[in-house]
Parts: sequence; structure tokens; C-alpha cells
Amino acid sequence: MNCEECREFIDAYIDNELDAATTITVKRHLRECAACAQFLEARKGLRALLGQPELAFDVPDSLRTRVLSALPVAPAKPKEDADRFRRRVVIPWFYVPVALAAVFAIVFGLALLQPGWIPGHAGNRALVAQVISGHVRSLLATHLLDVPSTDQHTVKPWFAGKLEFSPPVQDFAQRGFDLIGGRLDYLDNREVAALVYRRNKHTINLFIWPSKPDHAAPVQTFSENGYNVLHWERGGFSFWAVSDVRMEDLRAFADLEMQSS
Amino acid sequence: MNDEQTRARFESLTLPLMKDAYNLARWLMRNEPDAEDVVQDSYLKAFRFFEKFRTEGNARAWFLRIVRNTCYDALSARNLKEKELVPEGEINDIEDTTPGPCASVVAKATIETVRKAIEALPVDFREVVVLRELEGLSYKEISDVAGIPLGTVMSRLSRARDQLQLLLRERKENDEL
Ligand SMILES: [Zn+2]
Repeated sequence: MNCEECREFIDAYIDNELDAATTITVKRHLRECAACAQFLEARKGLRALLGQPELAFDVPDSLRTRVLSALPVAPAKPKEDADRFRRRVVIPWFYVPVALAAVFAIVFGLALLQPGWIPGHAGNRALVAQVISGHVRSLLATHLLDVPSTDQHTVKPWFAGKLEFSPPVQDFAQRGFDLIGGRLDYLDNREVAALVYRRNKHTINLFIWPSKPDHAAPVQTFSENGYNVLHWERGGFSFWAVSDVRMEDLRAFADLEMQSS
Repeated sequence: MNDEQTRARFESLTLPLMKDAYNLARWLMRNEPDAEDVVQDSYLKAFRFFEKFRTEGNARAWFLRIVRNTCYDALSARNLKEKELVPEGEINDIEDTTPGPCASVVAKATIETVRKAIEALPVDFREVVVLRELEGLSYKEISDVAGIPLGTVMSRLSRARDQLQLLLRERKENDEL
């Protein structure tokens, strides 16, 4: 490799975008050529200048609110989709058992792949996206807390006048999960209570609303887009905890909630 | 999926990308109000085309491509699309701030200097630098976002870095005089 070729590849080299063979050739040339080695140093200096986090612009708070309020409730449905669904699908009779077997295999295959999946709870998966979105929105829209308080005896009565149910409110500060307050939120087509906790510097949202009386359901776990979500039911309430803390931490949090009464 | 689930899914995918989107728009448009307009337009566009986005795809590259194209539309609509190298005056602007004795002033001057040097690049060079150095995209992702072949990503990035080094070196030599 000569200097000209080396310069041609040197950017891809520092970006780790070269294949192994070319990387070795570039490395070998850099060991032997002082001029190219110096060029590499200059590139590294430039990278250090460009890598300063202060260069990034902060998103103006007004923009978040603007975008959220500008978004329509639903995307416009392309017309051909509606037509496609209207068209009758004709399946020859001899395909039916095959199709049924395929559906069966897919459903149970999915059940095996997803440890949190329990038959009868398929609707929960759809709620996961809503829960994560509620969490992200609470962090973005400077609307994290309606009642900022670390005192469960302040937070619990605050909900009394606002919801037709009274959510259980616990502080777990001694176990590393600080209650910082609560707010009203909207999930699953209804108003729900949101309790907000801090774990180190991370925020945990705990959404609570009534489920079937005296119904209990074990913890289900979900992970999506870097967020962990846990769901359980007990004492007539449905619980959804969501955060970017590690799954073990969120699990410990859920265990604390379930042990308390 | 019903409407509410679609909206929730859209938000959970794209809201965490607002910082990346705003920064790309801010660098390409070079001012705050235009960047904000572009980001809002991009969210509306992305939502309109959301059904075409496959969930297993790369949401970040998909969304940044929309932001990038919206920027280019806005730039050409306003006849601002810079194809030529920056006029002399703009480069000279870089020399304005003289670093003081205080370390934080020096650091601030460096940030300002680097920012001005990036802004002085022609838009198609600026975009690859921002996507690579500030947003950390791979060459493949840059190629998807900017709609250019991998080889072009590589050569543009090289030339953009050459220009930045030149701009920043001129600045440094002026300081030392
Ligand atoms: Zn050489």
C-alpha cells in the first residue's frame, strides 16, 4: 500500500468501517510511514474536537409540546388497504387443515418464544406500547408530576377527588425507590393513576387502575426499545411499571409493591 | 392495531429520537425556528407514512431520512440550498472570538469555533459530518439517510474532514500570531 491508497482508506479505518484485510494493510503502512501516521494523529485530534458533547443543541421544551399537539389521533388510512380487506378471501377446502395447523404452530411458537406471554393476555402486548409511550411522554412534556410529594399520605388523598378509585400508594425510599409524586394519566381508554418513583437517576412510572375484583395475575415482563415493562394484578388493581432501569431493579420494585398491602 | 395503539407505538418509537432529529435539522437549517418547523413537519410526515414502516426496520435511520429530506425540501424552497463553498466573510467570522486567559472561556471559544467551522461546510458535507461525528451513525445508515452510495459516504466524509481541519488550523494559526 502506498501513501495515496492509505489516505483513501484512513477515514474508514478510524471509523472501523474497513474489512479485516484492508485494516491490516493500513496498519502496516502506518507503522512504516511517519507522514501518514501524522495524518492519522491530525484526524484523531479533529475527532476529539467534534466529540465534545457541548456541541449538541438542546431540544427547546416548546417543540415537544408543539409536536405532541400537532399529531393527529390516527394516521390517514391509505384507501387501497380498506379495499383489500373488503375483498373476499376464498380458501380451497383442502387448505383448511393445513392453515389451521399453521396458525396453531405460530401461536404456540410465539408463546414459547415470549416468556411473559400467557394465553388470555394477548391484549397486554398491545398495552405495552401505550405504557412506554405514556412513560416517554411524562419525561418529555414537563408533565411528570401533578402532585410532587415524597409523602404517601399526601399523594393518596390527592387522587381521591380526581379518580373514582383509590390506588394503593407506597413509598419504598428505604429500599432505594423514592416516591416523588403522582399524576393523572390516560391509558387503555380510561383515566389512570400514575405514581412516580426515582431509582438512582432514573424515573419509574407505576400506572394503576382497577381490574376484576380480587383477581390476581403473576408478573409478566416485556422489553422494548430500551424500556422494561412489568405487569401484574392484585387486590382488584392492574399494575404497570415502566422504566429504563435494569430488569432486575424493576423486578425488585415489583416485588416490594406486591409484598406490601 | 387500532388507532390508539398505532399512535402509542409511533410515539414510543419516535419521541426518543427528537434530540437526534432536532440536531440534524438544526445543523442543516442553521437556525432555530426553521429547525423547529422541520422537526414538526417530519413528525407529521412520519406519522402519515407510519404504516409503511416495518417494525423490524431501523427506526432511527428511517426517521432521520424523513427529517433530512424535509430539510432539503425546506432549503430548496427558500432557495437557501448552499451548493457553493462558504463566502469568504463567513470564514472570517470564525476569527472573531479571542480566547481569554480563563480556561472555561478557552473551552467555550473552542466549542464556538468548531460549531462555526461545521456550519461553514457546504450542506452535503455538513450532513455526513453531523450524521457520523455527532449522531454516531454507521456508513450504511448514513447511506440510507442521505440516499447516497457507501463509496460516496466515505469520500464525502474524507473531504469534509479535510475542510474542517483546514478551517480549524487557519483559526489556530491566527490565534498564535
Ligand atoms: Zn504514507
